[in-house]
Amino acid sequence: MSETCVVGKSAPRVDGPAKVSGKSQYGADIDIPGALFLKVLRSKTPHGMVKRIDVAEALKIPGVVRVFTHADVPGENSYGIIVKDQPALTDQVRFRGDALALVAAETEEAAKQALEVIKVEIEELPPLYDVWSAMAEKAQAIHAKGNILTVSRVKKGDAAAALRTAAVVVSRRYTTQRVEHSYIETEAGVAYMDNGILVIKAGTQNPHYDRRDVSRVLGLPMHKVRIIQAATGGGFGGKLDISVQCFLGLAALKLGRPVRMVYDRRESIAATGKRHPFLVEYTSAADREGKLLAVKAKIIGDTGAYASYGPATLNRAAVHATGPYEVPNVDIEALCVYTNNPFSGAMRGFGTPQMAFAAESQMDLLAQELELTPLEIRRRNVLRPGSLTATGQRLDHSVGISATLEAAWEKAGRVMPGLGGEVK
Amino acid sequence: MLNLSAYHQPKSLPEALALLGSSGRALRPLAGGTDLVPALTKGETEPLGLVDLSRIPELRGISRVDNQIRIGSLSTFGEIENSPLLLAVPLLREAAAAVGSPQIRSQGTIGGNIANASPAADTVTALAALDAVARLESAAGSRSVQVSELLCGVGQTKLLPGEVIKEILFQVPPQGSRSGFVKLGRRKALAIARMNLALVITFEAGRISRARVALGAVGPNPSRRPALELVLLGQEPSRTLIDEFAMAASKEVGQMLGTRPSVSYKREAVKGIARDLLQRLFFGAGQVVG
Amino acid sequence: MEKFQLKMKVNGRTVTVAVEPGLRLLDVLRDVLHLTGTKEGCGEGECGACSVILDGELVDSCLVLAPQAHGKEVVTIEGISREGELDALQRAFLTAGAVQCGYCTPGMILAAKALLSRNPNPGRQEIARGISGNLCRCTGYAKIVKAVELAAAELQQKEGAAGV
Repeated sequence: MSETCVVGKSAPRVDGPAKVSGKSQYGADIDIPGALFLKVLRSKTPHGMVKRIDVAEALKIPGVVRVFTHADVPGENSYGIIVKDQPALTDQVRFRGDALALVAAETEEAAKQALEVIKVEIEELPPLYDVWSAMAEKAQAIHAKGNILTVSRVKKGDAAAALRTAAVVVSRRYTTQRVEHSYIETEAGVAYMDNGILVIKAGTQNPHYDRRDVSRVLGLPMHKVRIIQAATGGGFGGKLDISVQCFLGLAALKLGRPVRMVYDRRESIAATGKRHPFLVEYTSAADREGKLLAVKAKIIGDTGAYASYGPATLNRAAVHATGPYEVPNVDIEALCVYTNNPFSGAMRGFGTPQMAFAAESQMDLLAQELELTPLEIRRRNVLRPGSLTATGQRLDHSVGISATLEAAWEKAGRVMPGLGGEVK
Repeated sequence: MLNLSAYHQPKSLPEALALLGSSGRALRPLAGGTDLVPALTKGETEPLGLVDLSRIPELRGISRVDNQIRIGSLSTFGEIENSPLLLAVPLLREAAAAVGSPQIRSQGTIGGNIANASPAADTVTALAALDAVARLESAAGSRSVQVSELLCGVGQTKLLPGEVIKEILFQVPPQGSRSGFVKLGRRKALAIARMNLALVITFEAGRISRARVALGAVGPNPSRRPALELVLLGQEPSRTLIDEFAMAASKEVGQMLGTRPSVSYKREAVKGIARDLLQRLFFGAGQVVG
Repeated sequence: MEKFQLKMKVNGRTVTVAVEPGLRLLDVLRDVLHLTGTKEGCGEGECGACSVILDGELVDSCLVLAPQAHGKEVVTIEGISREGELDALQRAFLTAGAVQCGYCTPGMILAAKALLSRNPNPGRQEIARGISGNLCRCTGYAKIVKAVELAAAELQQKEGAAGV
C-alpha cells in the first residue's frame, strides 16, 4: 500500500481538472438531442384556490407538445424532506411563485409563449405575510393542520426563578432577514426513459431524497427511478429541496421523450428556498461577576409556504440558542410557522447563524451593563470540558471555544493594533 | 431569445443615419449593448430592429487638438480609463474606471452612458463638470448640445428620432487645475452609484479661481451645482473650507431631494464623499495639470 | 427575419454560422457551438460566469449580441489549454484550491487571463479589481487571488528563464 494515509495532506480534487477546463457537465450543459424544453407557469398571487386552468390557447402554439397541471400528477401530489406538504403542481396557491402548470415544447420560445396564454382562475384568499398574522387565532390555515407547524422546547433548571433574583437582566427583540443562497448555477437538469427506468440528471445536493420524492409524486416504485447528480454549481443548502426533478420526471414519463429544463435567475430566486427570517425575544441574566444565570428565549421562524427543512432549522435554533456558553437555567421555545412568503429551508448553519446574532448581541449588552469587556464576559462563560450544555449534555472531551476565543483575540490584536486592549 | 425583425451593421455614419432616419423610432441604435441587450432579452424594450454602430469609424477614437478633446461616442469606458490623452482630465478617467466591472468597461460606451440617461451615470457627472458638449448627427444635419442640456429626466433625452451622438467635446481645464471623481456605491464593483461627485478646481496664486462641481444620482440627471462652486471660489484650500463645502453639499442634496426617502441618508453621505475628494485635491497627490 | 451570417474566430478556429441576430454570443457558444464551458449565471452582467475574451477584451457574453462578435476573435475556457495540457492559470487554480463548485471557474480564469495579459505582475488589489466582475459564492475569493498570484509568479519565472 503506497498512500493509505491522506489525513493532513492536501489531496487534489478529483473533479478539479474537468472544472478548470470547462468540461464538467452541469445540468444545463448536458446535450440531449431531441429534448423538449420545459417551463413552469408560476402563480402571481400569493394565496388562493385554483378554480380552473385553461390550456387550450397554449396547445395551439406551434411546437407546444403538452401542458400538465395538478390533474396530471399520477402519484401523491406532495413532497418534502420532513413534511410532505409541497405539491409538484398545485391546486392551492400558497406563495407567489407556486407552480401551476408545466409546458413541454419543442423550443424554449414556444414554451415561453405558452406561459403567456394559459388562463388560470384563482379564488384569492387574504395573504399572510408575517408570523403574527399567521399565528392569529382566526387566521386562515395555509395547510390543513394550521399555521404553527412545530414547537421545539429546550428546558433546563428553573429559568423563571433565576431571572427573578439575578443581578442583571437584559431583554431584547431581534429580527433577521430572509436570505437567498444565490449559487451561481441556477437549477437545471434533463430526464429521459432508459429501458423503462426514469433517469433524471440534475444539479442537486440530495439525490437519494430526490429519488424518494420523485417516485412518490409519479407513483413509480423506487427501482424505476434513477437520480444522477450532475456537477452542481453551488447549493449551500438550497439544492437539498426538490426543484426541477419532479417536473422533469413527470414530462419524461408521460411523453416518453427526453426533456430538459433550466431556471433563469428570476425563477431561481422566486421559486426556491431561503434562509428563515427569525424573530427572537431573548432575555439573559447574569450575576455581578458576569456569570450567566439564565436564558429565556422565544424564537419564531418564518418557514413560508412550505415546511422544507423548517422544523429541523427551528429545532437547531432552540438547541443552539445559548451560543457557546454555559447557562444553568434555560427556557427556549422555537416555533416554525407557515406564511404566504417564499418557503424557507436549509441554508448554511440551519438557524444557528440567526441565533448567534441574538446570543452574541446579548453578551455584549450584558458586558456593557456589568462594565466588563466583551472578551472578559465571554471568557467567564464559555463551555469547557465538564460543562453541561443547554440540552444537558456533559462535554467530557475537548471543547474548542476557549482556545478559539484566545486565538481570535490574539490575531485581532495583530491585525488591528489600535483595538484598545483589555482596558475598558 | 429576442425576436428582431432587422439587424443592421452599417460601416459608415451616413449609412447608419439613413437607416435610422427612415425608420422613425422603429430601429434603435445599439452601442456597447451592456444596458440594451439585457433590457431586450427581458422584453423591457421591444424595438423592431437594431442599428449596430460598432463598425462606424467616425464614432470611435479619442483625440486632442490644442486644448480641445474629442471622444468618439463609441469609445469604451476601458479606452477612456486607459487613454494617455486623458491624463489631463483625471475626473473623467476616474469616472470611467468606476463604471461596472472590467467586462462592462470593455464593452460599454460613453455615448451609451449619455443616451441611457441614468440618474447615476458615472461619466455623465464628470462630463457635466467639464461642461462637455455632445455633437449630434442625423440625416437632416448636425447640432451641438451641452451634455447636461441633452438629458431631461430619468431615461429621457432630447435626442430626436434618427439622431445619434457622434462625439463628445470639451476643453482641457485651464493651467493649474486639479480634478477628480468619487463614487459611493453599495460595493466597489457592479454597483450603480448611490451618489457620485466630480470636481474641477483651478488655482491661481494659491486661491481657487475657478470651480466646477457636479453631482450625480441626486436628481433625475447629473448636473453642475453652481451654489457649491460659489463656496469654493476665491478661497484658499484649508480644512475649514473642506468642512464648509461638506456642509453646503449636505444642504444642497437636502434641497434637491426634498422629501424623497433617500434624503436623510444622502444628506449625510455626501459629506463623506465631498471630504474625501476635496482632501485629495487640496492636500493629496492630485496632480496639477496644464 | 433573415439570419445573420456570423463569422468569427473561436479558440483559433474560424467558424461561420447563420444565426438569429437576437441570439446572444453566449447562446451561440453554448447552443450552436456546444462550448458549454461558458456558463450563464444571471443573464444580466452581474455574475461574470459567462465571461469570454473578445478581441483581447474581457466581456460578459450574455451582454453581447452574436452579430456584435462578427469578424472578431473569441477565446473561451475551452481555448485556454493547449493540446490537452492545462494552462498555468488552470494549474494554479487547482494547486491553490481555488475551485469548489466550479461554476464560476471558467469565467474567473478568463478574467485572470485578461488581467495577466495586460499586467503580468499584478498586486493583490489589482487582482481583486481584475476579477471584480466575477462572483464566486463558495471560496470567499482568497484562494482565487492566491491562484492568480501563483500563476503570475510562474509565468514571470518562465519569462525570466527565457530571457537568460
